Amino acid sequence: MHSFQDLILTLSQYWTAQGCVLQQPYDLEVGAGTMHPETFLRVLGPEPWNVVYVQPSRRPADARYGENPFRLGKHYQLQVLLKPSPAGVQALYVQSLEAMGIDLSLHDLRFEEDNWEAPTLGAWGVGWQVMLDGMEITQFTYFQQAGGLALDPVSAEITYGLERITMFLGRKRSLYEIDWVPGGVTYGQVRHQDEVEFSRYYFELADVEFLRTQFDGNEREAVRCLEAELALPAYECALKCSHLFNVLDARGAVSVTERVGLIKRVRRLSVACAKVYVARREQLGYPLLAAKPGEPGHLAEPSRPGEETT
Amino acid sequence: MPRGEFLLEVRCEEIPARMVRRATQDLGSRIFQELLNRKLTPREIETGFTPRRLAVALKGIPGREQDRTEEIVGPPASIAFDDHGKPTKAGEGFARRCGIEARDLERVKTPKGEYAAAVVTTEGRPTLEVLSELAPKAIAELNWAKVMTWGRGVGPWARPVHGIVAVFEGEIVPFELFGIQSGATTCGHPVLSPKAFQVAGFASYRKKLGKLGIEVNFEERLSKLEVGLSDAAAELGGIVVDDQPLLERLTAMCGTPGVVVGKIDEKHLELPREVLIASLRDHQSAFTVEREGELLPAFLTLMDRADDPEGFVRRGNEWVVEARLEDAAFFFGEDRKKTLAEHAAGLGRLSFHEKLGSYADKTERIVELCKFICRLLDWDDEAQTAAEVARLMKGDLVSEMVREFTSLQGIMGGVYARAEGLDEEVWRSIYEQYMPQGTADSIASTRVGRVVGLADRIDSVVGVLGIGLTPSGSKDPFGVRRAAQGVVRIALEGEMELDLDLVAARAYKQYGDRLEESAEEVLAIWRPFLFDRIRHILGLEDFSYDEIEAALEVGATNLPDLRARVAAIHTVRDEPGFRSVVLAAKRIANILKGVPEQELRADLLSEPAEKLLYQSYQKLRDEIKKAEHEKRYEECLRTMTSFADVLDHFFVEVLVMDENPDVRNNRVALLQAIQRSLSRTAGLTAVVVERADATEGKQGNG
Repeated sequence: MHSFQDLILTLSQYWTAQGCVLQQPYDLEVGAGTMHPETFLRVLGPEPWNVVYVQPSRRPADARYGENPFRLGKHYQLQVLLKPSPAGVQALYVQSLEAMGIDLSLHDLRFEEDNWEAPTLGAWGVGWQVMLDGMEITQFTYFQQAGGLALDPVSAEITYGLERITMFLGRKRSLYEIDWVPGGVTYGQVRHQDEVEFSRYYFELADVEFLRTQFDGNEREAVRCLEAELALPAYECALKCSHLFNVLDARGAVSVTERVGLIKRVRRLSVACAKVYVARREQLGYPLLAAKPGEPGHLAEPSRPGEETT
Repeated sequence: MPRGEFLLEVRCEEIPARMVRRATQDLGSRIFQELLNRKLTPREIETGFTPRRLAVALKGIPGREQDRTEEIVGPPASIAFDDHGKPTKAGEGFARRCGIEARDLERVKTPKGEYAAAVVTTEGRPTLEVLSELAPKAIAELNWAKVMTWGRGVGPWARPVHGIVAVFEGEIVPFELFGIQSGATTCGHPVLSPKAFQVAGFASYRKKLGKLGIEVNFEERLSKLEVGLSDAAAELGGIVVDDQPLLERLTAMCGTPGVVVGKIDEKHLELPREVLIASLRDHQSAFTVEREGELLPAFLTLMDRADDPEGFVRRGNEWVVEARLEDAAFFFGEDRKKTLAEHAAGLGRLSFHEKLGSYADKTERIVELCKFICRLLDWDDEAQTAAEVARLMKGDLVSEMVREFTSLQGIMGGVYARAEGLDEEVWRSIYEQYMPQGTADSIASTRVGRVVGLADRIDSVVGVLGIGLTPSGSKDPFGVRRAAQGVVRIALEGEMELDLDLVAARAYKQYGDRLEESAEEVLAIWRPFLFDRIRHILGLEDFSYDEIEAALEVGATNLPDLRARVAAIHTVRDEPGFRSVVLAAKRIANILKGVPEQELRADLLSEPAEKLLYQSYQKLRDEIKKAEHEKRYEECLRTMTSFADVLDHFFVEVLVMDENPDVRNNRVALLQAIQRSLSRTAGLTAVVVERADATEGKQGNG
């Protein structure tokens, strides 16, 4: 199983079988699967939540005109969020690799410390990069804080870098050579033009003044939404600001001092969104608390290898 | 089921390599200490760990605590007993509070009279019971660099805990921690050998894990791996490029370590050696192999399994290394499209610190500070080159290569400067700007390299302290201590005769209005860090503590000069008479403590002994002044030594505290003048000498 779409299908199937809600990508430009409200907002507060989705993630500064075999301005993450983190979450993850057809009795799997921090989200977590035969295939994080709020329960976030994994399993020399469809169209055929055009846009064409105006406008709009206690619309505006900042940065339009200021402005918005969201969920009586184990979104506690008995 | 043995194992998710070794030792010593406090001292302690388990075995622990008997003195006998010697209500109450029968109360005689007393015996508890209290506490209270919580707010600990083995003499020590019940069951590798099994003691524990290929003893693993790596390198016809920190990190990361040998495409050997090594080390945690100083097209790394039956692990690592080196070659090519000066022109976009400006700002400051330093040193020949190097030295920070491999900062700039054909003095000074990196590292080999290294560090330290980011405890995020260490070593070993306070003051001024603390405050925070490093570094040179303190009292921040003073004290202190002059100096200091400055008038001197002292003093003053000026510090100290007899004579013959205030003040003034001269070379009073007329010779190592 070395095609891009098979990987998506397999992992989605595996995690839905574990009780995850199958969500879809957020319909905005975001830098990572973490920024999807299904992660960033759902990790807040007491309600349980288990979800899986693919999120196209934009990193304008990493765009390379489709010329670098290892870097992309947009890549695809498969994101799993388990809240609260089940005791057997690591074992569940290991089984997902086996579901992908990796016989772990023949490979080297290691969890190396890699802590995560997102200044624009006021968020950090503790965890690992998961290495398979020396290749980083997953980010594994126990969320400790988001939107400046300490988290209880704690969520486990598993982020698979889909291109990397497919490329690695297929031993391809370039991202663009991976099969999107088994034996059919390649990743390059699907996405190369996208990379080239957006590289030109991010680095050469993007209108700095227009982007700045958009940033300011979205920030104002976010504040208005927050005043009306509309957490989700406000958060969308914050996400737009975050992406606009990334484009401005890639365009080389952000000076050192301004950079710090812009990051702070985005962070202020996300922190405020988190607060309003939490308050709103409380007003609503935390609807997801009532969902019962066994129903979609609830994970049966798995057994971890080696821990069946004491 | 070994007698007196306690085995504790905590199984958990992968603990970061940087924390796990210390944590295991910490766990062992905490439990040891707790047992010691209860007089249950273990005879022996062994610890071991893998990324997923911390194991501690304490042996030879007594089976139970000793019984304790104590006498509790209560109310006076007249209150506790009635006329017939029967306990009163008060006596009964006291007995009840002590947990004994009233009839068992005793009478004790005290200096205050006769009192009732209760002799209470507390039975010692079984060790098993004691352990079930202290073990969970010791586990929970471990110090971690970073902790987390998991699930429904369980923790905090380094990573989620999955199982606990706690067995004393083969019996389970029961307790619950993080929702987990302790037991006697463990398991092997989560994927390769997950089956659970029972353990009774440390020997069987190690044996059973050993059968699964898991070695918990770190040193054992380390030495096996060293052998494995050098065997693999020998097979390739070379030796491993030594990297002890990497070896230790990998050993901590693997419980079942095996060696992976991978090939590198020959064409990548065209990359600079530094880049190859950094790429393999930083990205792949891999060692390089060399023969006669040339890298071979191969790498070695570790896997957390003994073998690689299908070659998947090797091929996986090779694939990643190939991708990484392709990447590195791409960066190298991209970077070379610009000169280092052109890279440096982009430093305005790289922030040094939010409040301290960009690296372009920093570069400007370093350039000016270098000129200033060269002026202070009279290093005219170096001034221009230092300024040129300073303009280029941070340029590599915006190169693709350094963004990817931060460990190559400085080195990469040097490599690019070399490739551009710049003078060796220039590229080498850029290359070596961050030296010394650690205690084993030497300082930059060129004078220019030392000047720019010093300027860079002092600029950083002054800036960081100037915005109030003083390091506290173990926290030093901006590396002030390390920078101080670098400054001291560069100035000392580079024989840079300059006043560091002046350099720091200049660095402060260059920040303009960016800094929040005053210049005086910054210097006041900076000096203790500097002095702390000076004490440490000179201490390593076999100078004793008091010699260093004595020299530091002069307050010199000219380090080679400071060192010369320390060395002079070290040499002269054993010579006859030195002890006397130190004692005299201490005596003078005592007399003058808190006494205001007085004016010396030669015409008021009357006693022959004080006249003699005055004459000798004038000679002393001039000689010391001259020798000081020429930095002949041993001679200064010897001159002082020769003065001891006159001083002693004075103290025998003359009473300083004369009844006549004019005479008294004049004598005080004379002593004050003498004190000034005696304090020029070093704070003599800080030198430790024995007061009694014991044997002359080197004394007191502080």
